[in-house]
Amino acid sequence: MRILSATLTNFRNLAETTLDFSPHVNLLLGRNGEGKTNLLEALNWFALGRSHRGAKADELIAFGQDALHVALSVEEDSGAIVACEFGLDRSGGRRLRLDGEPLKGKADLIGRLVTVVFNPDSIGLVRGAPQQRRQFVDQGMAELDAAYLAHLGACQRVLKQKTGLLHDLRRGFGGGGRGREELTAWNRELAYHAAGVCRGRAAYAQLLEPHLRAGHEAMAGPVGTVDFDYRPRLESVMKHLVSGGGKLPPEDELAGAIFAEFDYITDSEMRRGRPLSGPQFDDFGITLEGVDLRTYGSQGQTRTAAIAMILGRSDVLFGQRRMRPVLFFDDIFSELDRARTRRLQEMSSRDHQVFIASARPDDITGWRPEGLRAWRVESGRFAAVEGDAITAGD
Amino acid sequence: MERPHGGNGLSGGDGGEFQSPALERLVRSLSRLPGLGRKSATRVALHLLTGGGAEAHADELTAALGDARRQVRTCSQCGSITEPDPCRICTSERRDRSQLCVVASPVDVLPMEKAGFFRGRYFVLGGLLSPLDGVRAGDLPFERLLDRLQDGPVTELIIALDASVEGETTALYIQRLLSGNPLQLTRLATGIPVGGALAYTDEVTLQRAFQFRRAF
Ligand SMILES: [Zn+2]
Repeated sequence: MRILSATLTNFRNLAETTLDFSPHVNLLLGRNGEGKTNLLEALNWFALGRSHRGAKADELIAFGQDALHVALSVEEDSGAIVACEFGLDRSGGRRLRLDGEPLKGKADLIGRLVTVVFNPDSIGLVRGAPQQRRQFVDQGMAELDAAYLAHLGACQRVLKQKTGLLHDLRRGFGGGGRGREELTAWNRELAYHAAGVCRGRAAYAQLLEPHLRAGHEAMAGPVGTVDFDYRPRLESVMKHLVSGGGKLPPEDELAGAIFAEFDYITDSEMRRGRPLSGPQFDDFGITLEGVDLRTYGSQGQTRTAAIAMILGRSDVLFGQRRMRPVLFFDDIFSELDRARTRRLQEMSSRDHQVFIASARPDDITGWRPEGLRAWRVESGRFAAVEGDAITAGD
Repeated sequence: MERPHGGNGLSGGDGGEFQSPALERLVRSLSRLPGLGRKSATRVALHLLTGGGAEAHADELTAALGDARRQVRTCSQCGSITEPDPCRICTSERRDRSQLCVVASPVDVLPMEKAGFFRGRYFVLGGLLSPLDGVRAGDLPFERLLDRLQDGPVTELIIALDASVEGETTALYIQRLLSGNPLQLTRLATGIPVGGALAYTDEVTLQRAFQFRRAF
């Protein structure tokens, strides 16, 4: 999919403007703090239903204004052109519209505009906490399967309830001796949704691995085999995963096994006053020739693996749904050597619309992809630049 | 956004308080209603006091509220909202005594009665298990439900709770509570969207969900 144009009103420091983008490569040049990342944030907001930098509405609305509005014209992979709009105001109001029709919630947004952001934090996919890898897989799987998103949301909700109940029980609010039965009911509900989540994560790891390997080899050459595997915390799930060669049994069967495990650890959970196992502790392993890149990868290895994961997610989406996300590269090339930078630029721009924000014009020296459009960003204003001026520096 | 303006002897607006303590009290009282913030409460209050036909409307509202407070109660048998106690559904000879339908809220009875396909009786829980909201098993009338099943002619208990995790968990809790009981336990067929609230499900969907209800 491609973002054809954007009209921005009162978004951070960006001047009110309409920008027509290249369906191929868009380059935003300028010093840090001038507004490059703010534009990426505005374009990306509709894809996530939130700021990818975690900013609240108050931070996104321009100083001295009450509300912001962003309208995008998006060409879907089917060729259909849809109008995506969102508006936020300071009293917490938010309006989402698709072709003028109001959207109710975040779930309606999933799959309308799919974007992937690479920025210096992306390395955390390999090096960071398990939560970053779970988020990556959850997002990827949610794009493929709406039922997965429902299980994930339900799982998080039940987990909060269960945590609240364990907390109550530990503080002595036993509920007339019924506490244990209540916990059993919550565990049964949790097991059902946890089974859906674990099955989805296992399936996604299997879908991703071949694409991750191909992307990794294209970037780094034949340096060895990368494995990406699901490491569930629940022993019952791990056992089934091993015996099933990476595949998990049907939902009901798995839910039964997970419930039995929850039931087995209930006494410890009641003593400790918190949930001790479940998909909220899952992780994924990334190894190169058997070496765990999460802990032993060099700076360059982890960076390449993270990029291969993200490109792999795009390939999975294309393989399953015939959809291509819009790619955002925010200040990422400064971290890669010239050869890898060029390979990444060429690989990604072949199939995707790409937005590149860069403070260093020499990141793209000598690269003149088809349909390149460039802007210089200064104090929130965009000035189109052409030809040699692109790499002229400032 | 409407806001009170000068000329009516009132001041106040964003964050401030009215000069009239009586109006201030009314606004505060209204803003405790569900879904009504201070802004909307102010709008309602000013409408009742100064809008066209305000006096008659305010008197009518006062009378209606007083009557409702005196006459409306919850049915001691099923928990529905009623004036006579027990309610007409509980006392009707034409309702099937062998079927009892468990719902979460008195509001959930309305769409089913409107559609008119269910001829049994109801049992209103008045809530769903939700430790985060302080609702635990001891806060819901499960004991009364068991009593009701013990001495009654009920042969089928139909669980018609929201398709939320709280609704599902409450259903699982009831199922466990009744384990060993010879009673037939059924639940609505999926047809209610996941996360959907029963009260907002259309009649056709509801009737289908009922028709194709399945054993727990
Ligand atoms: Zn009644």
